[in-house]
Amino acid sequence: MSIQKQAYNALEAVVGSKYISDDPVICEGYRSGPGGYESGLGYERVMTKIPGAVIMPKTTEEVQQIVKICNRYKVPYVPYATGFYGPRSHCHVENELLIDLKRMNQFEIDEKHFYIVVGPGVIYSPIQQEAFNKGAYVVIGGGGAQASAIANLIGDGWSPLSHRIGLPHRRILGTELVLPDGELVKMGSLAHGDDPFWGEGPGPDLRGLLRGFTGLRGCLGIVTKMAIKTLPFQPEPLIPTGISPNTALALPQKRVKWVNYQMPSKAAQVKAMFEIGKAEIAGAVTKVPLFWRAIAKAECKEEFWEIWGKENEDTIKNFFIVRVLLIGYTSEEQMEYDENVLNDIMKELGGIPRPTKPSDESWLKNADSAGMWLMCGSYVSVDYIIESLSQATVHGEYYAELKRKYTPPLMPDYGDPGWFQSFELGHQGYSEFLVYWDQDEDTTGVDHFYLETSKMNIRERFYTSLLGPHQPLFLTGPKYGPNYHEWLLKVKNEFDPLWVCHPPVPLAHDDFVNRAEWMKPLKDWESPEKLPMPEWK
Amino acid sequence: MEKRKDRYDTPKKKVALDVTDLNNFTYDMSRCIKCKGCYWVEHTYMPGINFSVRCPSNYWNDFDSYGAFGKMRIGLAVAEGRMEWTDKLLEIIYADPLCGACDVGCKRNLDLEIGLTLEALRIKAVKDGAGPMPAHKKIAKNIATKHNQFGSIHDNRKKWVTKDIKVAAKADTIYFAGCSASYVNQDIAKATAKVLNAAGINFMLMEDEWCCGNTLYSVGMIDEARELAKRNVEAIKKSGAKTLVTSCAECYRMFKVDYPKMLDISTDNLGFKVVHFIEVADEAIKKGSLKPNKPVDIRFTYHDSCGVSRLCDPWTPWKGERGWMGMVSPSLKRRRGTMGLYSQTRNILNAIPGAKFVEMPRTRENAFCCGAGRGTKEAFPDLANTSAKHRLDEVKHVSAEVLVSACPWCKSNFNQAIKENGDAVKVMDISELVLASLEI
Repeated sequence: MSIQKQAYNALEAVVGSKYISDDPVICEGYRSGPGGYESGLGYERVMTKIPGAVIMPKTTEEVQQIVKICNRYKVPYVPYATGFYGPRSHCHVENELLIDLKRMNQFEIDEKHFYIVVGPGVIYSPIQQEAFNKGAYVVIGGGGAQASAIANLIGDGWSPLSHRIGLPHRRILGTELVLPDGELVKMGSLAHGDDPFWGEGPGPDLRGLLRGFTGLRGCLGIVTKMAIKTLPFQPEPLIPTGISPNTALALPQKRVKWVNYQMPSKAAQVKAMFEIGKAEIAGAVTKVPLFWRAIAKAECKEEFWEIWGKENEDTIKNFFIVRVLLIGYTSEEQMEYDENVLNDIMKELGGIPRPTKPSDESWLKNADSAGMWLMCGSYVSVDYIIESLSQATVHGEYYAELKRKYTPPLMPDYGDPGWFQSFELGHQGYSEFLVYWDQDEDTTGVDHFYLETSKMNIRERFYTSLLGPHQPLFLTGPKYGPNYHEWLLKVKNEFDPLWVCHPPVPLAHDDFVNRAEWMKPLKDWESPEKLPMPEWK
Repeated sequence: MEKRKDRYDTPKKKVALDVTDLNNFTYDMSRCIKCKGCYWVEHTYMPGINFSVRCPSNYWNDFDSYGAFGKMRIGLAVAEGRMEWTDKLLEIIYADPLCGACDVGCKRNLDLEIGLTLEALRIKAVKDGAGPMPAHKKIAKNIATKHNQFGSIHDNRKKWVTKDIKVAAKADTIYFAGCSASYVNQDIAKATAKVLNAAGINFMLMEDEWCCGNTLYSVGMIDEARELAKRNVEAIKKSGAKTLVTSCAECYRMFKVDYPKMLDISTDNLGFKVVHFIEVADEAIKKGSLKPNKPVDIRFTYHDSCGVSRLCDPWTPWKGERGWMGMVSPSLKRRRGTMGLYSQTRNILNAIPGAKFVEMPRTRENAFCCGAGRGTKEAFPDLANTSAKHRLDEVKHVSAEVLVSACPWCKSNFNQAIKENGDAVKVMDISELVLASLEI
């Protein structure tokens, strides 16, 4: 399959023949699965297609021209930065144009005013190294060091470092967006002049619209440039050591140090995170799933299962770790002060220090998300919420309980409640629940679990992050708003009346449930007989 | 034992590290997650915005299909019979120096057998009558008729041996010069031999040295390559040598890894030990039998040639089963490129008096391949040229006057790019640098 010849020729005139192709072999390389995020799930099997053509623009002007041509010829398109985000970032309809943005890799750093400006082809780890070189740092989102900073920031964009640095919307200073019809909108401080330092622009700010709560997965245009705030870091170098796969950053212990504490109870764990935030110390405070420690220890998949197989419900239930990153931002003395405060807190709460390596394997420069696939071959972060610290931790426990019903095919994890941490110095708590399976097994249970989590969140009144583009909008929308779905569809229709931009998002999951026979028994919510969107053949 | 309720009783499937059957690698191809660990420099070592990638193929052509993550999807389509052989498909499969960067990158996290999959794809291309590329067929003909890559006169193979080089009639060590050092880069063969002489290591040459077959194996002509492997292994055994020394990274990889792979034996069972010049020189310097005393007044950097770095972990045959969650049994020790000659090389380079050794941003397992190897330069000279020029940008970035490598194919490729660029950089083989530091 390919896109109309006239449209293809017009597109070729924009970028030149070297940067566009409809060759089947080229297009096959852009297949969503079978591996990757949400791999082997029904959504990927039912909803993704191989592109009809792939184009690689270099500039914003080229993107605008491409999008205008797509509107003229009614060619559906999807923006694609690295392709890491699984089926949701790949083509969903036949004869779709995939706009690969990797050549848009412009980068500038302003050392004095602490910001960077990047294109969508720039990933996190080079940004972090450039920031380090200038005494600054950024958050490398949980999506991984290999994630496009722009793609990650308009969706998620947080990590344990968000304990101090904060949520992405505080760090996105300016955004340049090519709307679905090709019009260019500059938001935040990129809206006026070329100095993005301040982060505010004139008039209504559309950044929230673009991002929603956790992004709209490319259905409202293409971000071609972003100004991102950096924050001051400590000055000592972090030295890479080891040979792959055993590499790490050696930390200057008087300025940067990870410390682990074993807490006596869940209440003490939450209280410790709260008190650390209240004292305004530390660069990161987190509790990650216990099996991540097994991943870190294991040399291979088989060894992981050997280590993990020794755990059971009791060991998991009674494991309350708090992992803290101390950073002497201003001086060794400040670091010493922070450590003393931390020790006081832990002494009061009964925290017992546990040995840690004097190095960083993850979060400062390398967020090792690829390791998530080691154990089972397939993985997704099924949901994440940002709540109060005490609410966030309860959320994971509910997920763990629901998960029992779907294990197998989900990986046995003995009730681990997932990832839990402090955001913004304890003002918020974060919970992320991750599930793993083998895509060669029957994955119906995973598809069902995914959908059931939405119903659970509605029932238990948890505010979930992925309600928009990752769940049926007609299930979640009426419950979260109560008109969230209507509002979102009006926005979509206003900005993209032809629905050329990544159709059928934001109704893709509704479409999936309608099309997948095995999902129908779960459909107990109202939705129009025909979804309110154009049909793409 | 009671069956656990929290897991499936997954039927086991037979699988082997056998590159003659692409189906052995369907699991690996289907588990690629597009993290592009195969493409980016490992994030811990990421040097910044510049020099951030390590895949010559995807550097040359930006489409995803040229990266290993694209090739895994394409490979699966080939294995499942969903894709016909076309010129574009052959270009994607063959425009690739198989440098192993993708393999070690993937094994940072996922342990997928990317390198073997790419080799198996080429073998299938040949079996299906689609591969190799025309330039490769010419080389194959040269090897079949003249026993060297270039089609040069076979009798001239030992012409590099000058009067000031002592070659023993019989010795425990045999020096395998390889095609490039025998015909094109004779300075490397001479320097290697002279350093061996200086270190007091008696060595002999093969009575009748033939090409190692690197290009044949690398482009998927496994039947021809296997015959050559058998012939060469037998000849070396017959010579009585206990140790084979190479000065070529490609020959080294062939003898140490791909010969055992093709012959279904482990490296330890070859019947002789395979070492590169680097290992010999490192040991001799440590023992004191080689004394680099003569100052060499240069600022130089080092290019980790793929065959002596991420591609040279020894081979052990493996066959077994894959079951629940993709686990394999019996246990499989993955080849992750950790046994590359990284430290041995640096030991030597840091021992050169008077010289200033500076590292490039991308080193060891993260090094950017020169782009020439494994049939690439012959079939896709533009890729080889682009890669070499990109690497030379890195040489200039660290202000090195001399680029040292450990493979004659790297040397030739860099030299050609330098000539085209008009650069002032000089390329030396590590054997030449060591020789320059000896008072002989």
